[in-house]
Amino acid sequence: MSLLRVDSVDKSYGNEPVLHDVSFGMDRQQVEVIVGPSGSGKSTLLRCVNRLTEIDSGEIYLDDEEIHTVDENELRRRVGMVFQDFNLFAHLTARGNITLGLREVLGLSKPEAEAKADDYLDRVGLADQAESYPAELSGGQQQRVGIARALAMDPELILFDEPTSALDPELIGEVLTVMEDLAEGGMTMLCVTHEMGFARSAADTITFLDEGRIVERGPPEQLFESPEHERTETFLGELTGLHQ
Amino acid sequence: MEPGVLQASDWGFILANWDTLVLGVVVTVLLTATSLTLGFGLGFPSGAIEVYGDGWLANAVSTAGIVLRGTPIVVLIVLFYFTLPLPRIGTVPVIDIQLNAFIAATLALGLRSAAYQGQVFRGSIQSIGEGQLEAARSVGMTKLQAIRHVVFPQAVRRSLPGFQNEFTIVLKDTSVAFAIGLAELLTRAERLYLQPGRDTAVIEVIITISVIYFVLTFTTNRALDYVHSRYAIPGGTQ
Amino acid sequence: MSADTVDSAVGTIRGRKKVVAGGVGGALWLWLLARWAAHNTLLDSIFTAIGLPDLIRSEVRVGAREPWIPAAPFEAVADALDSVAAAVGPLEFLVEWLAWPFEVAAFATSTGPALAEGAFITVYLTVISMALGLVIAVPLAVTRVYGGLISSWISLAYTELIRGTPLLAQLFFFYFGLPLAGIVGSFEVMNLSGMPRTAAVVAIVAFTVNSSAYQAEYIRAALQSVDEGQLTAARAVGLSKREGIRHVVLPQGLRFAIPGWTNEFVYLIKYSSLAAFITVPDMFRRARDIGSDTFQYTEIYVVVGLCYLGLVLTTAMAMQRLEDRVAVPGVGQSAGRE
Repeated sequence: MSLLRVDSVDKSYGNEPVLHDVSFGMDRQQVEVIVGPSGSGKSTLLRCVNRLTEIDSGEIYLDDEEIHTVDENELRRRVGMVFQDFNLFAHLTARGNITLGLREVLGLSKPEAEAKADDYLDRVGLADQAESYPAELSGGQQQRVGIARALAMDPELILFDEPTSALDPELIGEVLTVMEDLAEGGMTMLCVTHEMGFARSAADTITFLDEGRIVERGPPEQLFESPEHERTETFLGELTGLHQ
Repeated sequence: MEPGVLQASDWGFILANWDTLVLGVVVTVLLTATSLTLGFGLGFPSGAIEVYGDGWLANAVSTAGIVLRGTPIVVLIVLFYFTLPLPRIGTVPVIDIQLNAFIAATLALGLRSAAYQGQVFRGSIQSIGEGQLEAARSVGMTKLQAIRHVVFPQAVRRSLPGFQNEFTIVLKDTSVAFAIGLAELLTRAERLYLQPGRDTAVIEVIITISVIYFVLTFTTNRALDYVHSRYAIPGGTQ
Repeated sequence: MSADTVDSAVGTIRGRKKVVAGGVGGALWLWLLARWAAHNTLLDSIFTAIGLPDLIRSEVRVGAREPWIPAAPFEAVADALDSVAAAVGPLEFLVEWLAWPFEVAAFATSTGPALAEGAFITVYLTVISMALGLVIAVPLAVTRVYGGLISSWISLAYTELIRGTPLLAQLFFFYFGLPLAGIVGSFEVMNLSGMPRTAAVVAIVAFTVNSSAYQAEYIRAALQSVDEGQLTAARAVGLSKREGIRHVVLPQGLRFAIPGWTNEFVYLIKYSSLAAFITVPDMFRRARDIGSDTFQYTEIYVVVGLCYLGLVLTTAMAMQRLEDRVAVPGVGQSAGRE
């Protein structure tokens, strides 16, 4: 049974179609990587899953519940998100960034929330930065706090929206390491990323999205070694060349 | 008559009347405090309403703001003084002011300040990136929770320099209550040199109260600077 | 920014509000310009010389000038509504409310000529003081940023002292404190017709000093926001420091200063009303005098408030246009809202 099932989703901004008849499903503990040129609708697709963006037509099921029948706040608690620009709460410490949701949404007490926050900071290797404010952290550290913030809510699925695109090259590795650990630990992850190394090693499935449509979908070996479509080959070839 | 500039006897005259000036300072500080409190209390909600409110309420707040910011403070003060059906409640003992004049001045200065503080707060809210709100919503917070716990705390900090500016403006503009004879610092100073035979002391009196105003604005500004740095977000560039 | 929105010094004016402010404000200006022309001494002498002695009437005293819009129709409506009010019993206050704007309108037309005369003074006080203030503000700001230790400290002390004390106290200082009025009045030119009163000259001095400090502060901030590399680059092509400031830093910095400068303009229109307290017969002083003559305080202050609002809003909107026009493409614009 799929954890997430996206069924014939259409979305346009005004007259600009962004997603067209997109359908796919993913199981628990799976890692799915979405790739595609900029403007292909990758981020929009991700944001439709936690309803930061509303779809025009089609259905999206989380654990066999259509997400529009679920309270949106409840849905977002169950679906974590990691942003390209980190979006850490600028006025709160690393710990405060994590405890805010725990206390306000899950209703944990202050000591409970702090213990849990420290636990997750430790998991992303930032136990010693709990008291630091976002502006005092490097980009890579900020993104790891962002991941810890999403994880701490015990989500069923985490969405990663180009989590390393805003990072200096030397900081990308530390974030990818955390993501690989998560994948190994059995977290269900839906990632938009250009990191082909990560896609190859961690993804169960890769989806190639172009102009709002799924062009091709399959295990990494298939897409990298013997893609069905020439567009896929060209795009992945360029991306791999670019990053090696 | 040649006004003798800076005569020793005139300084003596001011020294002899120090209690009058102290009472003036008390009224000026009181009026600043009540006006700023009113301005703060109304400015915050009105800034938030302009951003998040919808329809007629946001529209009404924005129109009222434009009118209050587009009208001279002296017109607002006399308008409130002559128009509002404030009963002549009487005078306040010790500081000796007409209560209705004080209320009219507070309303005029306070409402206008609210209009400016609302702008400051509105600008601060809008300067908080959309991503902050989205991040809050993506962990499952309601819009109200996100605004309260993520947007407001940051917007308030960013508003501090604007509020500081407002404080200086209100303090200086309390002197315009002179128009309705409210016995604040400037009015009392004028009464001093209007006494028969005391017109030689005009310049000394005005210099004295200017120094007082300056000390008040300067020290409070430094104190607010301290508050600002104390509550600044570490590492944040503001 | 969309065309139907103006982010002016008094706030964002958009949609219908912009149309109303623009339309009513424009009409106010047309009427003001016509009134000023109709009683202008210079125009009078020109038209008299070409054989039209009665077209321009500068010799008519302000108090004796006729309004152009008759008050009678407004009074008639107000009276009619009032007579209805008496008949409807408990709802009386509602009808009286309705009648009130007509009473104000009737009052406004009859006080119009005096207010127009006052508005002329309000406008020239503001414009002249802003212009003179700018002349002082630029060297003040340059000294503050690029001057030596002592000169920059003097500049700082001047701006902080002026900005730290009330404008009304400064007006009193110049008018009652210094023998400025006597000195100004002793000049022969002040006796020529068409010259402002001595009090108005003192007011201009005070407003110039005051606005120079505020303008200097805006310009200082703007100069400091010009990238340091600009001056370095100017020096690198062989300009002296002074030339570099003059030809490279100032042209950019003054553009950055325009939003602050337009704010100051709008502020000074409003604060010029304080000149009334040193006997300058500006728009507020005219209103105050009418108030104490007629005891119709509420009406006259509402009318004069609306007049100021008209001046302020039209100026703010015009200034916004100026800002849009002189902006350097891609430079110094505030970041667009996300």
